[in-house]
Amino acid sequence: MLRIENLRARVEAREILKGLSLSINAGEVHAIMGPNGSGKSTLSYVVSGREGYEVTEGSVTFEGEDLLPLEAHERAARGIFLGFQYPVEIPGVSNLLFLRTALNAQRRARGEAEVSGAEFMKLVRAESALLDLDMEMLKRPVNVGFSGGEKKRNEAFQLGILQPKLAILDETDSGLDIDALRVVADGINRFRSPERAVLLITHYQRLLDYVRPDYVHVLSGGRIIKTGGPDLALQLEREGYGAIAA
Amino acid sequence: MTLALPSPREEDWRWADLAFAHALADTSPPANDPLPDVAGHWLDLDGERRLFVAGRPVEADIAAPEADPAAPAHPLADHAAAVARAGTTLRVDGEGGLLQLLHVGTGGAAHGVTRVVLAPGAHLTLIETFADADGDHWLNHRFDADLGEGAVLNRIVRVRHDHGLVTDRAFARIAATARYHQLLVGMGQGVLRAETHAWLSGAGAHADVHGILLGNHSSAQDILTRAVHRSPNATSDQKWRLVAAEQAKLSIAGGVMVAQDAQKTNAEQSLKALVFHRTASANLKPELEIFADDVKCAHGCTVGALDKAALFYLESRGVPPAEAKVLLTRAFVADALGAVDHEKLASLLDAETQAWLATAAEKRA
Repeated sequence: MLRIENLRARVEAREILKGLSLSINAGEVHAIMGPNGSGKSTLSYVVSGREGYEVTEGSVTFEGEDLLPLEAHERAARGIFLGFQYPVEIPGVSNLLFLRTALNAQRRARGEAEVSGAEFMKLVRAESALLDLDMEMLKRPVNVGFSGGEKKRNEAFQLGILQPKLAILDETDSGLDIDALRVVADGINRFRSPERAVLLITHYQRLLDYVRPDYVHVLSGGRIIKTGGPDLALQLEREGYGAIAA
Repeated sequence: MTLALPSPREEDWRWADLAFAHALADTSPPANDPLPDVAGHWLDLDGERRLFVAGRPVEADIAAPEADPAAPAHPLADHAAAVARAGTTLRVDGEGGLLQLLHVGTGGAAHGVTRVVLAPGAHLTLIETFADADGDHWLNHRFDADLGEGAVLNRIVRVRHDHGLVTDRAFARIAATARYHQLLVGMGQGVLRAETHAWLSGAGAHADVHGILLGNHSSAQDILTRAVHRSPNATSDQKWRLVAAEQAKLSIAGGVMVAQDAQKTNAEQSLKALVFHRTASANLKPELEIFADDVKCAHGCTVGALDKAALFYLESRGVPPAEAKVLLTRAFVADALGAVDHEKLASLLDAETQAWLATAAEKRA
């Protein structure tokens, strides 16, 4: 589904990704772990198309299509979703208006019919109930006044409504207490299917207790230096990144 | 009457562009024959409508009102009072409903006066729209309002002219517990100078002086506001949102004046501008003169571009850039629209601003 080969990317003059390769197939859950500054968030931004990240070498393809010439919204319409480490607050734009605009823009781009207000609200009610989100909160401006946990649940809510093919979840577990972590992890597990894939970016092993990955990669110095199964995460937790990178 | 136009060397007029007033002050407008097509300028709302073309009433013979003698001297407003041949006088006792006045410039200099007197407890919603047919002109308007105790006046000012100059000087005297709500929406490509002087003259009096200026092409819109707290325990709020694109020049000098005995004043002011192109400009000038010591006066002032992190967040969910910019800009101006408590009117104004923003975004794309 996603194939990254020898990817080099920089922000301004600084090279962050230095020859990263990664393949993710449909149905798989991958976790990328790594110390601060190893390039985890940069990878998520390069794949999702954020401005200011320049690819100098290598390729990124999604279902066989070259992703790099596409703008962020076009990648979203292809089925790529980025769950933000720090979801952005947008005063004045209601969560539901934003999400319906996004859903219909994606559907238009794919040549599908737009969803009506009634259909959309049906989706919203079903998904918000699963995530224990209050409807009143969803009508409020995007993420404004939300607690850290509410922001992450809102990301999981958007994931559930937009139903992408690949979810890249950047530090989804940060700022969550145990109960909220379980709710968000349940959301991710519901999303898992043989047609879809998940890339979890995380510092800690904790999230992986709830969302069991098929592969764990260690990112260090802008490259993947080790790949293994779920046990690798436990090893990292015990021994630290230093021992693995050495 | 000889007109002495103010000079840009005077601080209150530094951003005003009065070139059309200089050029056209002594020029009479053409006859209203035929009448320009103005149907598109009315808002689709129930209520009486009055049309003035080049300062002359259409389908009515309405003499110019007496100006409010309490109003401070003003070169343009005083000239309008002296030379206007027609205007509107509204004396309201009780529920006055909704009324639309449409002022259309066609050429030369045209003057008009609107005078509102609300009895205690009276209520009126007045929409004044300034528009034009094609061709340069100067439309000079004066608005005097006197709100009795507990009265409520909503004044919506829509500025939609694409040529020439519109000048409007509004003066409102607001008695105890009366409320004056003014919202100006400027979206024309012509030149505008609009002033509002709201005098809060009793305990519990309140004034909203809000506005949205949307400027593209070579639109030049210049605003001056004065929330004048003349007695204790009154409140005022000013929210202005400016969106400057292309070669637009948008300016506001927003004033809060608190007299020495106006203790317990609570005044807020928020001036914000978005500038989309290097060729566009926005000037924001908060002016606070506070002579009382027990007051709350909050003010904030920012000029900038759209938040890039917010744009990427929307785009990463599939919203195309042009649509994302419209959503964010609409949210930016929504603060100022939020104060309109007439549901249909609010939604019509929201729709016009949104249409303007969508067109501007298409041009940017």
